[in-house]
Parts: sequence; structure tokens; C-alpha cells
Amino acid sequence: MIKIQNLHKSYGNTAILKGIDVEIKEGEVLAIIGPSGSGKSTFLRCLNFLEKAEKGIIQIDGEEVNLENFHKSQAVKLRGKTGMVFQNYNLFKNKTALHNVSEPLRLTKKISKKQAELIASDMLAEVGLKGKEFNYPVALSGGQQQRVGIARALALNPYVILFDEPTSSLDPELVEEVLNVMKAVIKQGRTMIVVTHEMEFAKDVADRVIFMADGHIVEEGTPKELFENPQNERTKRFLKNYLSLHNFGGVGI
Amino acid sequence: MNFDLGYMIEIFPRIIEYLPIVLYMGTLSFILAVVIGLVFAVIINFKVPVLYQILLIIISYFRGVPTLIQIFIFYFGLPQLFPSLSSLEAITAVIFALSVKNAAYLSEVFRSAFLAVDKGQFEACDAVNMTKWQGLRTVILPQVLRVAIPSSGNYYIMMIKETSLAFTIGVVDMLARAKLESAVTYKFLEAYLTVGLIYWAITVILSFLQSKLENYVERPYRKEATK
Ligand SMILES: Nc1ncnc2c1ncn2[C@@H]1O[C@H](COP(=O)(O)OP(=O)(O)OP(=O)(O)O)[C@@H](O)[C@H]1O
Ligand SMILES: [Mg+2]
Repeated sequence: MIKIQNLHKSYGNTAILKGIDVEIKEGEVLAIIGPSGSGKSTFLRCLNFLEKAEKGIIQIDGEEVNLENFHKSQAVKLRGKTGMVFQNYNLFKNKTALHNVSEPLRLTKKISKKQAELIASDMLAEVGLKGKEFNYPVALSGGQQQRVGIARALALNPYVILFDEPTSSLDPELVEEVLNVMKAVIKQGRTMIVVTHEMEFAKDVADRVIFMADGHIVEEGTPKELFENPQNERTKRFLKNYLSLHNFGGVGI
Repeated sequence: MNFDLGYMIEIFPRIIEYLPIVLYMGTLSFILAVVIGLVFAVIINFKVPVLYQILLIIISYFRGVPTLIQIFIFYFGLPQLFPSLSSLEAITAVIFALSVKNAAYLSEVFRSAFLAVDKGQFEACDAVNMTKWQGLRTVILPQVLRVAIPSSGNYYIMMIKETSLAFTIGVVDMLARAKLESAVTYKFLEAYLTVGLIYWAITVILSFLQSKLENYVERPYRKEATK
């Protein structure tokens, strides 16, 4: 289980996360939607300590960190429970697809190079990249790079995988292949938190959707509840804007 | 027309005999310059208090003072302050002067190469839970090297050439040898041209090796480079 209590994060004097409370069950897929600048990325980044939140308690699969008082080794342990898939992939530019997946394994799980490469090549096959093992990131399309990114996160077998807008840097025709890989990952019963602008995808695959605005969780519910019958004014406005932008080619603007 | 090609061929072996000392001074200075330059770069990058301020002055100084003058200061000047240095060998003084001076330049090369690495690369290392050192070694430094190699290589070549200043404080290198030869025969053009051509050849060879090395480290970043 994942339990986040009263998470606070600010940059300088600007409060970005103003007390986030969430619980996520094992195997659950949580989608986070919300306007730009609402703190969605910041939230994910605080969960795996790319950013340090000032206050709150993060608990993942039995590891707990109180952000006001913790030891570095606790943060490392907690981070080990998470995998991150970045918006702009962030593959290691000097490593082949295979080594992007195998090197973290070899270095952080202390297994042999050979075994790490075997696992990595299985993972790449799983995301449909058989035959691309020896390509460097420059020689992969955006969609392929992101699939390597997913394989890299999967290989480490984390408790939860964090996706930060995994498809929003992609050309439209490449979005589908990445979403399909994510759907396959969901079928494995993985716990996932997905920040996304792909509402259709969230509707299809999420168990629960959170609408975030201005550093708060404004509303949460099943996709059906949130998309078809939003309660909060801001949620309604956000979804209306989104629909007018995406489904009606901007007619409503 | 008064040019004796035969003489050039004759003295060539006697001059090139001193190539090893040139390469020794240049290479050792370069290695030291890289090491000191890295230390400088770290101090500057982390703005280590006090050391940082002192270093800025040191760097500014070494950039401003001509190499020959710096060699003189080390060789003739320092023993005056520290008598224990009076036995400072000429070669050591040259290596010392060249390495500190070029470390000042290289520190800037390394620092900007480090800054050129995409922030996302550091985050990706953290996100997969590598230690700082693991991330540096496997992901960051190779990318720093890629950016730093072209200009570092140019400094190396320049340093090899700058070692020719060593003859002014009595180091017997190729230039000193040519001077001795021509003092007897008055065939200055032939003697100095021989030295010049040797330096030219070294430069051409090193530039060639450098481009090979650059090609090698560029491999992962070229689109067609797929095995
Ligand atoms: N390193 C930083 N320093 C200062 N402010 C930052 C930093 N990173 C993010 N912010 C600010 O924090 C706020 C939340 O940013 P965040 O990236 O979490 O938003 P988001 O919900 O992910 O938006 P988007 O949908 O555009 O990705 C923004 O106002 C942003 O300007
Ligand atoms: Mg974001």
C-alpha cells in the first residue's frame, strides 16, 4: 500500500503542494489530471526524492519516511520502491537500449552483467523492442525511447511506477504504441501513478482519477464519477475546456 | 640560393633524438594539467568557500602571464624565496609552469562540459537509485568527456609546442640541439626548419589521433551508428 499524508512542498516562498493526502492500494492504477502548473510533476518527483518535500509522511510498501526527520538511507530505500518514467524519456544518451535497462540493474541490484543483460533483453522484448537492443537513444524514435524508459523502470521491479506525462512529448502517431505498452503493464497488476493529459486513456484504464489544481487535490473518484459527473466547479471547468479543445477542434474557444 | 637539404637530412637523427624529452615534458604537463584542472573545476563548481576566491585570482593570474615569464619566475625566482628549491631542475620548472597555466584553462573546459550535460541525465541516474558515484562514472563522465575531448586535445598539442620554451633555461631539447648544430655550421635555416618540420609532423599525427578518438566517443550520438 501507498499512503501519503499531508505532503507539502514549496520552491522558495511559493507553496506548490499544499497538503496532499492519498492512499493507493496494491495493483491500483491512479491517474492524476489537472491544469498546467498545478503541481502534478512536483508531486511525483517528491515521491521518489528527485525533489525533497519539506513536510509530510510518505509510506510505500512498508517503508516510511517522515520528511521532517529522516535518514538518507531511508530515502534510498523508498526510492527503490519507485520507478520513474519521464516525459522526455531521459534515457542514458551514452548507452544502448540494452544497457539503459541492464546497467541500473547491475549497479543497484548487484547482479552480474550477463544476467542483467538477459533480464534487460527480455524486458525490451516485452515492450516490443526486440532487435533494437544495440541502438543508442539517438537511433530510436520517441515512442521507442519511451518504451525503453518503461522497460528500464520495469526491470527494477519497483512497487510502484510513476509516469509523468509519458506521451506528451510524442508525435501523435507514436502515442498509441506507448499507451499500449502501458496497458500491458497494467495487465500485469502493477501499481501505477500516471500523470496524464490523455483523458481517454485515464478513462479506460485508471481505477481512480484525481483532479489536482493549485497544489490541492480538488476531487477524486472513479473515472466514471469524475469524467461523467464531476462535482467541483473547477473540475467541471477543466474538463469542459479540455473537451472543447480536443474533441471539437477548438470550436468552443 | 643557399640551401643545404643534405645537411638537414644529416642532422635530422641528431635532432629527433630529443623528441622523447619533448613528448615527456608535454605529456606529463598535460596529465598534471588535467588532474589539477579537474580539482579546480570542482572547487569552482561547488564554490568552495575561500578556496574558490583564491582560485579565481590564481586562474586570472596564470591566464594573464606569458608562459616564458612564468617559467622564469619558477626557475630563477622561486629559489630566492625558498632556498630548498635552488636545486629545482629546469625540466621540473617547465612542467610545473605549463601544467598550472593550462590547468587554469582546462578547468573552464571541464566545467562547461559538465554544465553541458542535460539535467535529465542526472535525474535518470537518481531515479534508478544509482549512487552519485555510479551515476558519475557510468553516465555523466562519459558525456562530459565527449564534450571536453576536442578542446582538451587542442591544449595538449599546444603544450607540446610550448615545451620548446624550455631551451631558454637550459633544457636540451630539439630546439637547443638545433641551435648547437647551427652554431657550428651557420646553417640556421636548415637546422631550425628541421625542428619546425618535426613539430609540424607531431601536430599532424596528434590531430589525426584526436579525430579518431573524437569519432570513437561520438559513436553513441550518431544516428547511423547502429550495429
Ligand atoms: N525547480 C523549480 N523551481 C521553482 N519553481 C518550480 C520548479 N519546478 C516547478 N516549479 C513551479 O511549480 C509549479 C508546479 O509545477 P509542476 O511542474 O509540478 O506542474 P505540473 O502540474 O506538472 O504542470 P504541467 O502540466 O505543465 O506539467 C509551477 O508553477 C512551476 O513553475
Ligand atoms: Mg508536469
